[in-house]
Amino acid sequence: MRLLKRLLARLCNLASRQSDDRRLLEEMEAHISHLTEENLRSGMTPAEARRQAVLKFGAVEAIREQYHAEKSLPFIESVVQDVRYSSRVLLKSWGFTSIAAISLALAIGANTTIFSVMKRLLLDRLDVPHAGQLRLLHWHGDKHTAVSNMWGISDNVPEGIGAASFSYPAFEQLRSDNRVLEDLFAFKGVGRMNATIDGNAQILQGELVSGNYFDQLQVQPQLGRPILADDDRIGAPIVALISAELWQRAFGSSSVVVGRTIKVNMVPVTIVGVVPPGFTGAKSVQSSPDIFLPLSSQPLVEPRGKNGSLLGASSPQVWWLNIMGRTKAGIADVTAQAALDTSLSAVVRSTLHPDANTTIPRLDVQDGSRGLFLSKQTFAKPLEVLMAVVGLVLLLACSNIASLLFARSMARQREVALRLALGAGRARVLRGALTESLLLSALGGALGVALAFAGCRALPTLLANPWETSQFGMPLDFTVLAFTASVTLLSGLLFGTVPAWIATRSDAGACLKATGPGSTRRRKGFSGKMIVSFQVMLSTLLVAGALLFVGTLFQLAHINPGFRTDHLVLFAIQQPESRYPAPKDLQLHHQIEERLRALPGVQSVTISEVSYISDSMENANFLPEGETPDPEKDQSAWNNAVGSGFFQTMGIPLLAGRDFNENDTASAPKVGILSESLARKAFPGQNPIGKRFLAHFHPREGNPGDLIEVVGICGDTRYWSLKQDPVGMFYQPYQQTPNLDFGATYEVRTSLSPASIAPSLRKAVQSIDPDLPLQEIRTQQEQIDASMQQERIIAALTASFGVLALVLASVGVYGVMAYSVAQRTSEIGIRMALGALPREVLTMVLREATWIALVGITCGIGATLLSTRLVTSLLYGLHPNDPVILATSALLLALVGLVASWAPARRAAAVEPMQALRHE
Amino acid sequence: MQTCVKNRKRHLLFSKRNLATLPVGNQQVLKTRMDIQQGTLALMVLRTLEVLGPLHGYGIARRIEQISGDQLALNQGTLYPLLLRLEQEGAIASDWGPSENNRRARFYRLTRAGRKQLQSELRDWQQTADIIARFLAITEETQS
Repeated sequence: MRLLKRLLARLCNLASRQSDDRRLLEEMEAHISHLTEENLRSGMTPAEARRQAVLKFGAVEAIREQYHAEKSLPFIESVVQDVRYSSRVLLKSWGFTSIAAISLALAIGANTTIFSVMKRLLLDRLDVPHAGQLRLLHWHGDKHTAVSNMWGISDNVPEGIGAASFSYPAFEQLRSDNRVLEDLFAFKGVGRMNATIDGNAQILQGELVSGNYFDQLQVQPQLGRPILADDDRIGAPIVALISAELWQRAFGSSSVVVGRTIKVNMVPVTIVGVVPPGFTGAKSVQSSPDIFLPLSSQPLVEPRGKNGSLLGASSPQVWWLNIMGRTKAGIADVTAQAALDTSLSAVVRSTLHPDANTTIPRLDVQDGSRGLFLSKQTFAKPLEVLMAVVGLVLLLACSNIASLLFARSMARQREVALRLALGAGRARVLRGALTESLLLSALGGALGVALAFAGCRALPTLLANPWETSQFGMPLDFTVLAFTASVTLLSGLLFGTVPAWIATRSDAGACLKATGPGSTRRRKGFSGKMIVSFQVMLSTLLVAGALLFVGTLFQLAHINPGFRTDHLVLFAIQQPESRYPAPKDLQLHHQIEERLRALPGVQSVTISEVSYISDSMENANFLPEGETPDPEKDQSAWNNAVGSGFFQTMGIPLLAGRDFNENDTASAPKVGILSESLARKAFPGQNPIGKRFLAHFHPREGNPGDLIEVVGICGDTRYWSLKQDPVGMFYQPYQQTPNLDFGATYEVRTSLSPASIAPSLRKAVQSIDPDLPLQEIRTQQEQIDASMQQERIIAALTASFGVLALVLASVGVYGVMAYSVAQRTSEIGIRMALGALPREVLTMVLREATWIALVGITCGIGATLLSTRLVTSLLYGLHPNDPVILATSALLLALVGLVASWAPARRAAAVEPMQALRHE
Repeated sequence: MQTCVKNRKRHLLFSKRNLATLPVGNQQVLKTRMDIQQGTLALMVLRTLEVLGPLHGYGIARRIEQISGDQLALNQGTLYPLLLRLEQEGAIASDWGPSENNRRARFYRLTRAGRKQLQSELRDWQQTADIIARFLAITEETQS
């Protein structure tokens, strides 16, 4: 209590800055006059009386100090003093301060951003209770696998092909046989659905879910009820749950949304609930479907397969459902896998009737805590590279700060020695150094946090396509921020205080007596130069990496895709299958095509089933007439269904024959156009025009296929990706293909900008069907740019880090050389006095700097040779150890070393011998 | 009294408190008079104020010296930090007032809290003194 009172009073005094000691002075004066009077009374002379009084009173200064210490908090005061002194010092050497703070900020900011993205994409789990229990069923097979028709994404596994998609009968069988996992549930992200809410046509992301989905995921809606088993039966009224985001966007978070009816792909659907915020469905962690529908609604809202239904036993050949289940206590994954594999084999035998040539897929149980975890395939590699790069930048920044602080505190050793000699305590001197480091770190840290915030804002927009609304939220991760911030700040503190500690341990007298070129110079200089060489090495590595990625981007940008990419506006139309069952869809697209052709500003219009450089492709079997089917040989070719005038619109050269035209209707003889390389492969040494080939045949399904006559030869193009070399392709008029299941992409050649032509395009389409939205309006060039997005991001980030590395390296070289020259001023003075020419001194300093740089560059090139192998898959058109790039980065670093040491070298050459010697 | 003996005694008595060596003006005095310790000095100040009522700093110093029979080597200036501390603790309060030689002086008086503090410290002191007294009374016979 007493202590508290005292502390309070002291704090009050500290806060009110009541540091004047007028009261004490007055009291002391009174006291001494009392004493003097007493002494006078005892018979002393006035002077002696006063002297004795002062003696009796004691050391006035010591008492004042003691009084002051009692009055306020001396510790805090001295800290304030330290802070004030340190900020003055930092302000005075603002060049050093800003470079150190910016290094810290960049290290913290860049690392936090990249780590946050990495965590979000690769580490975060589904936001459901006990996500770690979730298991995803997956199968793999070789190229003769019985599964031939899949709706979903397949992945490459060592055995051949794998996927997490199953047929509906397989789901039912696995679910009823399952004793090894908790109840299995199924879901399918169906992608875009056309919805009408309050008369507004919208595009929604939909997910079909089994009746036990919410129960098994243990997710309760924040409003209304979940989809129940009873909703998931054929004939039940279609209900839906909507996402929190859609609830907010389309319904203003109104609670009367439950019971509302909206149209999804023209089908009325009743909303029964809203999922909790943060729940993203079982498919992905990063983006959420807008609407959840029961599986039983598939034939109505998303008709596919035979008679539009994938349910029951109607389409066992289509594999499309994702299946998950929670682990059962006490049952290992291998046990579960073995049991479920047996069930899968049984269901494949009974539903797909495999023959001798086909193999049965094997089931494996995978971790389902991150959904299908598609982000791993896409982002794992680039993020690893970026992480390595930012890690190197972090190291570089730390070493930069280390060398700066090291050189600085070495230069200030005399100051420290002086302070020690004047009676400062070691703790006090150390605290001063610590305060300075802390201030610097806090400055850099604050900037770094700001940068991290900005980065986490900016990166998702970099990752998204310009024409798609991004739902990819990227919150700043505070654990990550705390980690990077503490690593960087700690290194700052360490390298700020350790030299000060060394300085306080050294003999103050010796240090003060020691003159410039002391005997310890070499050893001190050594560690500084080591750090700088290390920096040059890291920079070489970073610059070489950056050049590789920039080179890749350059190579990609200069690829000729085989068609004209300018002045092409693209958009997609996905006709709802319920309203336009085949062949009505072909008629619809023909109608739209005709209507668009008449629009002003449109030079030509065509349709393609697959748009170019968009990671989509189509493959069909292809058999030149006269050859026999052979399952051992690859008898397939890439293909595309296109509209009339396709080759003219796309600017693909026709080498022989004719383009498709209005006469190639559904009833006309089937015609096709081959690309040059396919023609050469299929009909070697012959004129392919007039030859025929067989395509789209499926003997097992009783489909004999179409016999198609070749009417033209066109140039080769790149198909789904710029990185993929041109492939052999055949084209057909879309009217002569069975259907356009997946909608069609329109290619409009126009001199107008997409923004100015879009309204008239939209009006033209809606004059045919007002419920048809135009999707993904973009130009072909934007489409290509988007396909290079990953390369562009990597190139942009690594290039900026490379430039940063160069700056840091030059600062490092400059710092260490300037320090070395300053230390050797008198030595240089003696050399000059003994007849050395300024030019020789200049060369001497430059030679020293070049040695430092060369050591770093050599190590850096070695490190580059060792590490670029790891990024081979991210490069295009360049060898990972491209000699030009290695030489360029080495030269760049050598140049930077020379330029950075030029100023110190000039300073050394300009030393006046007399002045330098007097300087001692 | 020998210095080493003196120190040992202090440790025995005031092991809870920090030793503060007060600057002493006269080397001669050092040998004959006893240094006083901070905690003890506070006790003396409080007790003086209790008995004699409000006093200024010089008055307190004078009284303490007189009561101790001039056995204490007191650097009188060291009183002031102590007075400030006691005031901040709330044990004493102070006001300006005219002194006997018609100067302005700061008069210190005991507060109610100070009185209580003094009482409890006196009790502690008494206890310690009793214990020490018993130790001093030990003879070889009583020990065996």
